[in-house]
Amino acid sequence: MIEQGSISPSSEAPLLRVEGVRKRFGGVNALRGVSLEILSGEVHALLGENGAGKSTLIKILSGVHVHDGGSIEIDGRPASFTSPAQSRDAGVAVVYQDLSLVESLSVADNLMLGREPKTRFGFLKKRQLVAQAEAFLKSQNIPLDARALVGSLPFAYRQMTEIAKALMGDVRLLILDEPTSALTDDEEKILFEAIRAVAARGVGVIYVTHRLNEVFRISNRVTVFRDGQNAGTFVTSQTNMRQLVGAIVGPDHAVLKADSTAAGQSMPSSAPPGSLEKPVLELRGVSNDRLDRTNLELRSGEIHGLAGLIGSGRTEILQTIFGLRPVQSGDASLDGVSLNRTDPAAAIRQGIALVPEDRHVQGLVLEHSIERNLTLPRLPYFSRFGWLQHRSASEHANAAMHRLAVKAPGASTTVKNLSGGNQQKVVFGKWNEPRPRVLLLDEPTVGVDVGAREEIYGVIRAAAAAGSGVLLVSSDLSELLQLCDRISIVVDGRITKTIARQEFGSAEDLHHLIQLSQPSEEHAA
Amino acid sequence: MTDTQSPANPPMARGAAVNQPGGRSALQHLLQGERPYMLYVAFAVMLIVFSLASPWFLSIDNFLNIGRQTTLVSIIAVGMTFVIISRQIDLSVASTLALSGMSASLAMAFVANNWVVGAVAGLGTGALIGLINGVLTTRLEIPSFLVTLGTLSGARGLALMVTNTKPVIITNEYYFAIFGEGSVLGVPAPILWTLGVTIAGILLLHYSVYGRRVYAAGGNPTAALYSGVHIKQVTTLAFVLTGTLAGLASLILSARSHAARPDVVQGMELDVIASVILGGCSLFGGRGFVLGTLLGSLIIGTLNNGLVLLGVSSSLQLVIKGAIIVAAVAFTRR
Repeated sequence: MIEQGSISPSSEAPLLRVEGVRKRFGGVNALRGVSLEILSGEVHALLGENGAGKSTLIKILSGVHVHDGGSIEIDGRPASFTSPAQSRDAGVAVVYQDLSLVESLSVADNLMLGREPKTRFGFLKKRQLVAQAEAFLKSQNIPLDARALVGSLPFAYRQMTEIAKALMGDVRLLILDEPTSALTDDEEKILFEAIRAVAARGVGVIYVTHRLNEVFRISNRVTVFRDGQNAGTFVTSQTNMRQLVGAIVGPDHAVLKADSTAAGQSMPSSAPPGSLEKPVLELRGVSNDRLDRTNLELRSGEIHGLAGLIGSGRTEILQTIFGLRPVQSGDASLDGVSLNRTDPAAAIRQGIALVPEDRHVQGLVLEHSIERNLTLPRLPYFSRFGWLQHRSASEHANAAMHRLAVKAPGASTTVKNLSGGNQQKVVFGKWNEPRPRVLLLDEPTVGVDVGAREEIYGVIRAAAAAGSGVLLVSSDLSELLQLCDRISIVVDGRITKTIARQEFGSAEDLHHLIQLSQPSEEHAA
Repeated sequence: MTDTQSPANPPMARGAAVNQPGGRSALQHLLQGERPYMLYVAFAVMLIVFSLASPWFLSIDNFLNIGRQTTLVSIIAVGMTFVIISRQIDLSVASTLALSGMSASLAMAFVANNWVVGAVAGLGTGALIGLINGVLTTRLEIPSFLVTLGTLSGARGLALMVTNTKPVIITNEYYFAIFGEGSVLGVPAPILWTLGVTIAGILLLHYSVYGRRVYAAGGNPTAALYSGVHIKQVTTLAFVLTGTLAGLASLILSARSHAARPDVVQGMELDVIASVILGGCSLFGGRGFVLGTLLGSLIIGTLNNGLVLLGVSSSLQLVIKGAIIVAAVAFTRR
């Protein structure tokens, strides 16, 4: 915060001034007074962990939410948007992660969608439409072919089309929400050129990202949010990665405390997973379209974390083990039995369980009852000659609900009606009994409230204590530090480093380690 | 464990309690299962109106008549229930019926005049078309709407081609008795077949592992895959089941008319699908039950029968039927 005063680079009035903005959602303080200044022609990166308040501020600026307190000024005039239309009229344009383009239409069609030039009889003036779009792209220095079909373009160019579309009209402030999450390095370069061109014309750009490397490549300044407050604003050329990570994670982060208590708790259980034991699960040079010679050993009773950025291949490692992706070369084995030619059904029979990333899409049949969901993966256990033993199925469901403390009127309750935490417990319950040999967990506490989260941690520890090998993917570093006996860093489909509990540092160190393991780290130094 | 059993459905589960055979009988399903309360009311109102309007309506003979007339639709609709719950559709059932009938009658005419030969040929042809539908849908990932639109046309064309559009006479007395004209305790064979198929369908859908997997595959295919369900096999089997039942329907029809004709029951797939949807199946998969389908089919059959007894012209019958189907579905669906 001290830095803020000292770095204001020029005396010119800011394009956007956010001053002490607050926002509450029910009992949650999403923003507790954040401030932000964007200059005309500047690319300003906005950083922070999930829940730090970045998206809330963007939604306020784009008119989706209204702030409870503080002030927002654009060009010195107070601004408070009650609808996205008002925000657009004031010159604010937002490009979200998920693209909103019509893939079957051309770039020009997409840009002019809803404002097509028409004849008096309502017929489209096709030539004029293309000409207008081309003129616009040229005026913005955006290297796009107006006639190209959007669906046929590489992702970076689609992203650029989206930006161009956002720039139609008189835009003063462009907000980009993690625009590079699906881009290759080359595509990223192309997109960055386009963003610089936009800024050079005097537009202020807010660039939201999780990737610190990008901050150093594209931004002039960077602001970090933490827990709904400012954690510092820096001139990019005068800061470094360690300082930014420190700001993101915070000096006295709860992790450190949580870590020490967790260590105390799990001491008895963390001693036995002896390193001499033979691994339950072994990957030797496993490769496929997303994995690149992955090596991994998972021991019985161990909780093994997989840390890395989104898109690094963590999820794909789990999917490959579970038979959702083929093993093209290398060897995967469970208790010495090959998993190379497996599918989910066979993986389940061999004792592998997966709690997938998206419980609504992958984990649950929302319209069905708790009992149906709980028994689905292991129907053969509750059947004789293909006929369901209803009593044994419902006894199992009731027992699992009881064991996992699922709060619901009964096993016949539709899963859709449960809270996020209870839904996640049902997903865990699918694999609770009999115990799996290997439990694969993909972001198991996303969208789960704090209380249920602790209960789920208990379930995970209990599974490990009962002898399952647990492989845990999480973007929440404090979660990894709390739960894991070992943590492996995943970069581009490979495990680059594995660290044991006694070598764990703080969340800051882990974060730093993940960022530094990125292939293009030279830019960041 | 007993204390976790909830005594009754609390308010939050109301209306959401769907297809839960666990702990509930099939009768409970019919009475409180889904949401077609309106459907039951409509059915009752329809019965009352027709009874008052026509002296012939309320007689055992007439109800047997309705039963016989709805046999073909009811039997195939049981299979269609599986297909629609697994999030697919089968438009080819009427053509499958026609081709299966030709195949059965030709087998008896040229291979051996034995009812078993006819039955195997008819059921086998139906199963084969179902298998083709299933494999094309799941392996080539062509939407089943298009696949079965193709087999609708193809199977009908083949049926017309084999005899150059001429009917094939059947002379086997056992065949007539078993599939068409026999009766047990006064109940005609076609109605017995309908009952048998319905009961088998209830057991398979609500009391077997396969049934559970059908629901899961349709309710959320991705979650089913992640739970180790072989969705392709499950879906293919639903098509085979429907095709086989279309084959059975062809045996019943040809036994009744002592001949197989290649141009029969055109457009019947619409009645079949309407019965299933009327009976409470969701076109989006994952919801539905066999008894509802039977009820749906009976409603359509009763409607046809009642309108005939009232002397409504056949053209107007179609209009009324269409309006009632749309209205009923609008009321019973979310």
